[in-house]
Amino acid sequence: MDVLSAMTQQLGPVLAVLGAALAVGFAGSGSAWGIGLANEAAAGIMTEDPKKFGYALVLLALPGTQGIYGLLVAVLALQNAGLLGGGELCGLWKGLGIGLSCLPIAIVGFYSAIWQGKSSAASILMISKRPEEIGKAVILPAMCETYAVFGLLVSILMLTGIGKF
Amino acid sequence: MSRQEAYGYSSARIRAMELRLLDAAAIQRMLDAEDIQAALKVLEETSYSASLAAQSGGTNYEKALEADLLATYEEISSFVPDKELVTILRLQYDFHNVKVMLKSAFNKKEGGKERLDLLTSLAAYPVDELISKIETEEYALLPFGLSVLVPKAVALWEQNHDILEIERLLDKGLFAAMLQLAEGLGIRGVISWVRTKIDGENIRSLLRLKRFGYDAARALPFLYDGGYIDAQQLSALIAEPFESWSRAVIFSDLGAVLGSIEASNSFADLILDLEKALDEFNTEQLKKSCQGAPAAENVLAYLVRKETEIKNIRMILVSKDGNDNTQVRRLLRYAG
Repeated sequence: MDVLSAMTQQLGPVLAVLGAALAVGFAGSGSAWGIGLANEAAAGIMTEDPKKFGYALVLLALPGTQGIYGLLVAVLALQNAGLLGGGELCGLWKGLGIGLSCLPIAIVGFYSAIWQGKSSAASILMISKRPEEIGKAVILPAMCETYAVFGLLVSILMLTGIGKF
Repeated sequence: MSRQEAYGYSSARIRAMELRLLDAAAIQRMLDAEDIQAALKVLEETSYSASLAAQSGGTNYEKALEADLLATYEEISSFVPDKELVTILRLQYDFHNVKVMLKSAFNKKEGGKERLDLLTSLAAYPVDELISKIETEEYALLPFGLSVLVPKAVALWEQNHDILEIERLLDKGLFAAMLQLAEGLGIRGVISWVRTKIDGENIRSLLRLKRFGYDAARALPFLYDGGYIDAQQLSALIAEPFESWSRAVIFSDLGAVLGSIEASNSFADLILDLEKALDEFNTEQLKKSCQGAPAAENVLAYLVRKETEIKNIRMILVSKDGNDNTQVRRLLRYAG
């Protein structure tokens, strides 16, 4: 009975850690993937015209934000679970809630970063011929950002709610 | 990584390279130039300056244009994931070289001259190797199905001395090799482009044969397999007036192209209009298929545009030798 009770006590923080790992892992991987896609296009246009580096940099940095959102949610999750800042360790149900709270940014961050990367690559192709359209070229991939922000917001709201338990 | 994603770098670089293509203003200035020197001066201000400068003697523009196209092929081959995309377009020069070599060999046997000066460096298979293989009759290592076609052509020549039949055999081999390469790549837009090109060539051949009074049975061997329109069905159209051809092939994309050509008084005009419409349709078709950002079709589209541009430049420069400028304007193709 003591063993089961001890395991249950430790399972909460484990679930919270798992959630934090998923948030950073998936959102970060999506960002790396997305930036990689945009990088290929940027390298292509810079081979012909290195002066377009400035334009390309703005566009290829866009898919990187999801990784930052993942990191932010992971830090909040670890803090809520009592693993950062020296608070009391969370129980099983709170740990489960923290773990689940990390999922919106993990999933949305992963997919939105990849599609944002594709979108950025397409915009880089656009500025290769029409650099004066950089404003529009940035807006197009930024549309994907909206959904990453939704994922971040929901994760933060869930973590804040769980913090009141 | 998907095949489309593999073209991220290539597509972007190709898009940036599109800026090197001549714009309408440069073409207009060349058309308006008083003589060939003035037209070449316009060309020297463009991306062709390096190729022109490399040629000794300013008027050797043929060599300069060939060198420019070769440099483009080699540059693109150096960075595309599938080099076969470039080879598809270079195949026509390989088959041209084989024709030149065979005709030279046949001429030589009959005491005539060799015309190796007509060989082009644009072919995918090295010219030196081709000369050596054909002269030593070592056909087995020739690529693109030529290992079978060349001995067959030699046998045909020995049987009936009919050079047209050999041309027909090699042309069929060219389109079969193009389709095989495209299917090997498995890229939908490329396969579609090759098949539509075969249809276009068949329609072009059919119209020429109609001019010479051929019937369906005699025309059929001149048509190539592999297009969207069945060759048998197409050959039957030869008995119909040209105006009704568009209705008969309305199921294919070329139905609309044929419908857009106005019936002319002469066959010569009709053939010119048809050739121009088909070339422009092929360019447009590729342009449409590469609208979705990183696509392999970007490579083919750029090369087709480059070839069309060089064709246009050649026509303009030739027209400066006293030909009618209005006629040249009519012949110029839209390069996108």
